[in-house]
Amino acid sequence: MKNNKILPVMLIITLMASSSGFSQQSKITVKGSDTMVILAQKWAELYMKNNPSTAVQVTGGGSGTGITALINGTTDICNSSRPMKQTEIEKLKARYNTLGVQIPCAKDGITIFLNDANKVKELTIKQLSDIYTGKTRNWKEIGGNDTEIRLYGRENSSGTYTYFHDEVVKADYAASVQSLPGTAAVVNAVKKDVNGIGYGGAAYAVGVKHAKVKKDASSTAYLPTAESIGKGEYPITRFLYMYLRNRPANETKKYIDWILSAEGQMVVTEVGYFPYK
Amino acid sequence: MKKLLAITIFTILSINGFSQIQSNDSLKELIDKHDGKINALDERVLVNEADLGKLNKIKVSGYIQSQYENYGKDIEKSNGYNNTFYIRRARVKFTYELTDGVKFVLQPDFSTNSLSLKDAYAVVNIPKLKGFTLWAGQMNRPNYEVEYSSGQREVLERSRVVRALYPGEREIGVKLEYIGSAIPLKFQLMAMNGNFTGTQAKDVDSKKDIMGRLVYSIKLPGAGVGIDLGANGYFGGNLAKTNPYVRNSDGTADSLKNAWSYLDKNWAGGEIQIFADVLGGMAIKGEYIGGVNSTPSTITSTATMAQKKADPNKLKNLSGYYIYFIKNIGQKNQFVARYDYYDPNTKLKGDAAGSDIFYKTWTIAWQYYLNDNIRISLNYEMPENEINALNAIEKKDNVLGVRIQAKF
Repeated sequence: MKNNKILPVMLIITLMASSSGFSQQSKITVKGSDTMVILAQKWAELYMKNNPSTAVQVTGGGSGTGITALINGTTDICNSSRPMKQTEIEKLKARYNTLGVQIPCAKDGITIFLNDANKVKELTIKQLSDIYTGKTRNWKEIGGNDTEIRLYGRENSSGTYTYFHDEVVKADYAASVQSLPGTAAVVNAVKKDVNGIGYGGAAYAVGVKHAKVKKDASSTAYLPTAESIGKGEYPITRFLYMYLRNRPANETKKYIDWILSAEGQMVVTEVGYFPYK
Repeated sequence: MKKLLAITIFTILSINGFSQIQSNDSLKELIDKHDGKINALDERVLVNEADLGKLNKIKVSGYIQSQYENYGKDIEKSNGYNNTFYIRRARVKFTYELTDGVKFVLQPDFSTNSLSLKDAYAVVNIPKLKGFTLWAGQMNRPNYEVEYSSGQREVLERSRVVRALYPGEREIGVKLEYIGSAIPLKFQLMAMNGNFTGTQAKDVDSKKDIMGRLVYSIKLPGAGVGIDLGANGYFGGNLAKTNPYVRNSDGTADSLKNAWSYLDKNWAGGEIQIFADVLGGMAIKGEYIGGVNSTPSTITSTATMAQKKADPNKLKNLSGYYIYFIKNIGQKNQFVARYDYYDPNTKLKGDAAGSDIFYKTWTIAWQYYLNDNIRISLNYEMPENEINALNAIEKKDNVLGVRIQAKF
């Protein structure tokens, strides 16, 4: 009889233990860069496979959206393809009294997409700037056919948009740039448009031609390859970042440590980006 | 027989071939039809995108601060009540970003029984000078506590020194601002009317006041620490229109060469903000301001010399500072303590100070962030006044405030 009383108690304890086990499943939310979304999803899938007690939820939306979510407290990790702006850091300071934690986790070469039929093979940074500011409007001016240049780019919430603006265009974008949601959409547009040009993360460049890029007319032109990016030769090389409000702890720290490990960095290469070091 | 078989096979193949041609034609027709539809949809999407793009340039944000306050007995004596509900702020901010680097901001405040214009300015990126922007219109004066939005501030009101020197926070003028990317430097220089308290549409004198601020940021990422160090200065004047007589800061009598002269309004300050990632965020922020302020006499020009001597222009050496300690507790809570000091005339103490007494104020606050949009603040302000013949007692003027802030 005694055993009979112990049994239901043990059952309740077991149920409570197992239910608390369920509730203890850690959840990490990751939001931000569309450039990094495939990479972040791969990381999450692989990590969750080996760590079933952790759920990693990844969404895109653009670097700007991710940073806003980080400031508003609706994501644990923000993926960003550009460094945080001073104004954004000020907002973090105001709400959390921290500067945020920047973690470079991969490298990317911003790739210039051209249609396969385009005769142009390489471009200087100056030429790219002139194209995207609208000073150069015809492919003929830079060695192509006598046709109008059609510009494709990203939305202003995109880190790639900001990085390309700050490091390449260095002036206002031409009003004729068609803003598209995601690098995949840019690639798709250029694939269909013989006179199109676009830019975006290296991992998405399928079905279009890559233009070689050089610093200036007298420099060597490079394609965004592992070698040229690793050596810092490709002129539009950037880091891809993860941002946090506070220094990582517990599950988030474990997850980030894994991303920065050899195993996590292998995923970077598989997806088409380049290890951060 | 063979001939018949051949004819039959030929007939069947011909029919089959014909129907294949026919089905290929109809398929092509169908594709063309759908292609046309897709192209039409594409065009409509492009038009819609262009329209949405225009709307995307307009951002609307704002906040409402609904507040309950409970006052000490001395405030009750002058107000006639010891507690009240009221709307502290109800603001909507419209930002229109015309193109990259051109922005317009309009922010009215719809508090009960009053509609006032808080911000109305344009910001333009200066071409070829990366990081430089030019601001024109009505905007915040360049000072840390002034520019720190009331929607973000951890205590209900700004420190006494800042409220005294920058009433209404805003000024009308032009501002040059530089925010460095390679160098962690922020520089602001503003030329303004001066004397603005929220009502004067135009300047009250010809002299323009100048305000400057320089902040250098140091980051120690390994330690999770950031330090912002800055200096600021205000250089302006108040026009003495009617009265040549002056009472100096120490109470001595003085005079101007003529009545149409400017009285000093100059001060300088230093500031520091330390942010540390220690068991959640923590900040210590402080600022000191010292200098000379003036109060022009309001006496009429037709008054007698004796009357003018009795009501002279006043110069006052001022001094004030504040220091905040802010500690985030988890994601949702925040503890705040602030001590601030303001002496409108440092040269005169006790009875000689008259109404220019100093105040030392402790403020303790707790913030609870319910979600992204809602914040609940509990705030207790404990001012301590200088005692003299005019203010014979330590006033019972503590204020307990509870605020619910909803922002969007």
